Amino acid sequence: MNPKDTPTFQPRLKVLSREQALAIHQTSLRILEKIGFKMEHPGALTMLADAGCSVSDGDWVKMPPKLVEDALSSAPKRIDLHDQRGNLTMPLADGNYFYGTGSDTTFTVDLETGERRRTRLQDTANFARLVDGLENMSFAMSMSNPEDAPVDDIYIYAFAELIKNTNKPVVFIADSGRDIAKIYQIACAVAGGESNFQKKPFILNYSEAISPLRFPQNVMERLIFCAEKKIPVCFPSGSNAGGGAPVTLAGAMALGIAENLVGLAIHQMAGKGSPFLFGPNVSVLDMRHTIVSYGAPEWSLTQAALADMRDELYGLPVWAFAGASDSKVMDAQAGAESMFSIITAMLSRCNLIHDGGYLEYGNTSSLEMVTMNNELVAMSRSFVQGITIDEANLAFDAIERVAKEPGALFLMDDHTFEHFMQAQFLPQLLDRSRYDAWQEAGAMDMYRRCNAETKRVLAEHQVEPKPDSVLEEIDRILHGR
Amino acid sequence: MGELKALREAVIKGDIAAAAAETKSALDGGQKPQQILNDGLISAMDEVGERFAKGLIFVPQMLRSAKTMKECVDLLQPYFKEGDVTSKGTVLIGTVKGDLHDIGKNLVSMMLEGAGFKIVDLGVDVSPETFVQKTREVKPDIVGMSALLSTTMPSMPKTIEALQDAGLRDAIKIIIGGAPVTERYAVEIRADAYASDAGSAVTKAKELIGIS
Repeated sequence: MNPKDTPTFQPRLKVLSREQALAIHQTSLRILEKIGFKMEHPGALTMLADAGCSVSDGDWVKMPPKLVEDALSSAPKRIDLHDQRGNLTMPLADGNYFYGTGSDTTFTVDLETGERRRTRLQDTANFARLVDGLENMSFAMSMSNPEDAPVDDIYIYAFAELIKNTNKPVVFIADSGRDIAKIYQIACAVAGGESNFQKKPFILNYSEAISPLRFPQNVMERLIFCAEKKIPVCFPSGSNAGGGAPVTLAGAMALGIAENLVGLAIHQMAGKGSPFLFGPNVSVLDMRHTIVSYGAPEWSLTQAALADMRDELYGLPVWAFAGASDSKVMDAQAGAESMFSIITAMLSRCNLIHDGGYLEYGNTSSLEMVTMNNELVAMSRSFVQGITIDEANLAFDAIERVAKEPGALFLMDDHTFEHFMQAQFLPQLLDRSRYDAWQEAGAMDMYRRCNAETKRVLAEHQVEPKPDSVLEEIDRILHGR
Repeated sequence: MGELKALREAVIKGDIAAAAAETKSALDGGQKPQQILNDGLISAMDEVGERFAKGLIFVPQMLRSAKTMKECVDLLQPYFKEGDVTSKGTVLIGTVKGDLHDIGKNLVSMMLEGAGFKIVDLGVDVSPETFVQKTREVKPDIVGMSALLSTTMPSMPKTIEALQDAGLRDAIKIIIGGAPVTERYAVEIRADAYASDAGSAVTKAKELIGIS
């Protein structure tokens, strides 16, 4: 019998039934219709009132479900994020997943001394360059709240540093309508003009409302700016269970999704059809230390649930996190928590997955963590790709050859030579060496191996430089000349 | 003091109804309000603080105890005479200008209240001018400032400067906190203390006014 080629089932995680997804969604709609929210942006308030929302006490808005439905139907189901050279590297749709770093950490673990210290612009540059040089890191974020940048222009400086040090897509933060306009100028300079940029966007803005149900003026300025300029945007409020939201995950999700739907509705009114990446951040507030956890299994669970809601209801690509930890150093806890979120985010097919490389619940960044994550993503992918079932992979002929021929080894067979690279995950940093060899090589643990590998990448990897004209333009925008 | 055991237990458990009933019966039994406050309520909260520090209970349990205590203090309030010392001190607290986040600040307020401080909460986005004006009005022992964003942190030294210019700085202790804030920053901007979380805010506040 000749086995037919069979489609490969790729393992996938599902955590919500359709009924559960609908129940959360309906609660979100009920929150918006019956409780309402505080809208502090006058323009958005007018748009909402004109569209049929009721407004009381000046800025308290109640929204009918119809507006949510309109927004969900006009938002694109696919967001194409390009690299800075115009190649489509991040089609955010279907089951595609992409990993990257995170935003404003206050501290970083110094690569040379191992000490935790305040972050600087040079750190943003190093993280961007590292991402540029790592195969499984698809986009860069600032990873730093640099203490040496002027505080009013901190996000413009961080953005410029990202642009100078990577050609991969960039997810960025801004403060208000003022600095995002300058950031947009830089992006247009890189793309060679606004129309080029809008054809092949390579940046995505991260903005957040304040849970519960508060929408500050500066946040809405950014959201509306992005809608008008077609800059892809995500809008995750921090509806963390027990912090900005109820302690129970269902309630926290309903609240976070409600807040996202407000953002989406206004976004689509300001720019119908502009790209909006869906999803709140629903982690937990730790009940002992009152930090928002980055290692909690609950965050992985709520984003897997969100991916199910995408599949069942919304159809919009989703925003997620992975590869972070609450540990203060890159230790066993950091490895366990990082891997937990990386594999589950992939299994549930979250689309854009940020925050890789965080330690200390997002307060500290670690270059070594990013390097480790690069390997953990590869390891997870080898699992999620499943087992290919076809004639070549079932290897009937190879079995026959080796079994029949005296002295034959699979290791020497052509079949092995031809397939081993696809058939096996070949780790580079996860150590499988024999004991003596490991000892001779310095008896290094994972942290030290990642440290050495990070130093190697930063020393050897060349980021293709931007043309001088673009660099001059960036300087001009930075210094307001 | 023996009769207050049930009250202390109710506060530790966070049983508001039982604690209120115990407070009333202690008053009816002729116990002095000051004694109910010190030996019953505050002593219970000290125990709660210790249990929390040892990891035996969690934040919601501690906050429930604080809420229980507050209800009981409200019952005692009408019995206090002018001049009675009913709090460990007054803390004026707020999230600094430009920052709209209040979860951390509210948590600190609750904890300080539970530890026996009187709290005057100015809310969020509090300008240096408001801090100055309220400090003049309230005459607090401690001024607490919170910031979640590193971009709003510079409002802290601005506020300290404004308090200095108004001649109020020496009459108060200043404590700061929030995600991007560090001990080093507190030293840099000449605050008197930094607290990394709500629990240590209570410890630091007590140290600042010389009780511990």
